[in-house]
Amino acid sequence: MPSNAISAENFLNREAELSYLKSLPELKGKALGGNVFLEGARGMGKTELLKQLHRALFWEDNVVPFYYSFKTANQKGSYFAKDYFTRFVRQYISFVTKDSSIADNVAVPLQRLMPVISSLGLCWLIDCIDNFQAHVSKNDFYWQLVAAISAPVVAAQKSGKPVVVMLDDFDAAEHLYESSLDDAHGLISLFGESMQNRLCPHVITGSAGALGAIFTDHSLLGMTEQMRLGPLPEDLAAALFKTHLATLKITCAPDVRLTFLTILRGNPLYIRNLAKAASKMQKKELTEKDLVECYGFEVSEGETAFYWSSVFRRYVQSPTKRKAMVKLIMHAIENEGMEDRGRLSIVSGLCETETGAILDAMEASGIIRDKNAVFQDFIRALYMREIESRKPSDVREKIESKYLSESEASCFELVIPMSSNAELVVAKAVEQIGINMNLESEFLNYLQLALIEICINAMEHSGSYEKKVFLKFIARPNRLEIIIENSGRPFSLDSLTEHSVEEKLRMGMKRGWGFKLVYAIMDSVKVERINDRTRVILTKEIKNKEVHP
Amino acid sequence: MKTVQFSVTSRLVGDAAVIYPKGYLNNLSGESLVKECGIYIGKGITKIVVNFSETDLINSIGISLLLQIIEDLKNIKGTICCTNMSKFLQDTFEMLGLIQYMVVFPVESDALQYLKVGKV
Repeated sequence: MPSNAISAENFLNREAELSYLKSLPELKGKALGGNVFLEGARGMGKTELLKQLHRALFWEDNVVPFYYSFKTANQKGSYFAKDYFTRFVRQYISFVTKDSSIADNVAVPLQRLMPVISSLGLCWLIDCIDNFQAHVSKNDFYWQLVAAISAPVVAAQKSGKPVVVMLDDFDAAEHLYESSLDDAHGLISLFGESMQNRLCPHVITGSAGALGAIFTDHSLLGMTEQMRLGPLPEDLAAALFKTHLATLKITCAPDVRLTFLTILRGNPLYIRNLAKAASKMQKKELTEKDLVECYGFEVSEGETAFYWSSVFRRYVQSPTKRKAMVKLIMHAIENEGMEDRGRLSIVSGLCETETGAILDAMEASGIIRDKNAVFQDFIRALYMREIESRKPSDVREKIESKYLSESEASCFELVIPMSSNAELVVAKAVEQIGINMNLESEFLNYLQLALIEICINAMEHSGSYEKKVFLKFIARPNRLEIIIENSGRPFSLDSLTEHSVEEKLRMGMKRGWGFKLVYAIMDSVKVERINDRTRVILTKEIKNKEVHP
Repeated sequence: MKTVQFSVTSRLVGDAAVIYPKGYLNNLSGESLVKECGIYIGKGITKIVVNFSETDLINSIGISLLLQIIEDLKNIKGTICCTNMSKFLQDTFEMLGLIQYMVVFPVESDALQYLKVGKV
């Protein structure tokens, strides 16, 4: 039983959905509604909504709630049947007696509950248990499953009280098996009968990708409607965050506007985890900078990272394949999508078949659809840790620096094609940014030259199929950071050799001035390789003499 | 930064050719500059003045093509004078060690006088 639901007053902005779900038994009874598939990005509160529904129904006494999570379920059919059945019986008795400890105490065998069941006069339930035990004794796999899955229907028919069946992460039921993995496809369709019963509305959650496949099964298609859980609005997200902080005895510094929270896109799980990260990092009075720091911790080592790692483990068991998956997702993030599988196998380092299997798992898990900044930062952190073998502190710093510089600065992004004179567009852009920053025109000429050189280097030598150069300007009062990125052939500063003019004249080799100029102009030049992309980071400190008074 | 199309014009003053590159000096424009100088060198001119008053930006490819002109003149024992350079351009040439291969004057007339009488 989901007894760890958050308090009803802290469960924000889901009143309409909760109210609709509560009315499902009535609607199904009148053939106006049926089963609901709760859809929404991970962490959006689908499980929490089920828990709230369970709690509400538990205390209202008109409808029996039954919650079952497939997330932790054993997928061996006979174990699953026993678990599903006993959990239902416990939750049913718990509901009738209004004693939640009966549902929570999973260590007590069903036999010990018999006296309670007898005293409640639930003879049909005793029959039901005996019936199930008989199938177990006969080792009748199929009827064990049927008996377990239909237990809520039997209860509803015998008692006359509808049972709302809540199946969390239901797509995992697709992997139920008899004795070895994948030996019994389609067992999930056994839920069809139960779902069609008018006294048993089902509310299910799971990955839309996987459920899409499941719902091609006509027995489950029937009366299932979709309910989408969207993000919390900005004000409510901030309110929820503050509530969590208050519970954790953390206050916000007076000038904190919590603007950074927008990155969490109203996701209740992320909001809660960030508040908890603040507590773990022993923050007492949160500043905007603290928020970024907590976030860096959260996506690299915190509960959010753990959550996403668990999702990965669930869909791809082998560590080698998980690494390949990280590379593929990182590639998808950097390139805003996936190309053909042949090319992706080069990225993953695995053969085409294995890469295909990973891509299928990614599709089934729905993680590619979760295009949110938090997930992307988790992937960046994981990539840095597992592929680039960076230290956790470096990873955190890298994630933090991304937001600290952006939040304190004006940030501009520009994409240019790799075509003739496109670098002049960049020169023009940096000129305007410089004017905005009140920089001297001569100083700007140098910046323009440095940028032109990096752009033409990318255009001439990358061999990129994408034929685009991505630029990001982060302007701060005392520093200008410019990030230039392109796909294609790797480029390393180590490959550069310097020749004097005399040597150039003697060797008839007049090119190769570009990076000499860039080095002379900028304070720092860094080249990184991220997946199949080269990233050059130029930094220029701005001194007083370079700014108009 | 002006956004004029690159063009190159020239005139002959006595035995010296004065070249006027205008706009952004890159690979394409650098080649037309080399070509323009080549025409005069082909005619036996060994003194070239490049007036940079209307050159607003340059890139490393443009610089390498300027080095080509320096080399061409070196081979015929000629002289290249650069004039009207912005501080940025002059500093850039200095940064790359190019300045020692050219004679730099603030204005075109000084360069022409130098080429005529050997001093300003």
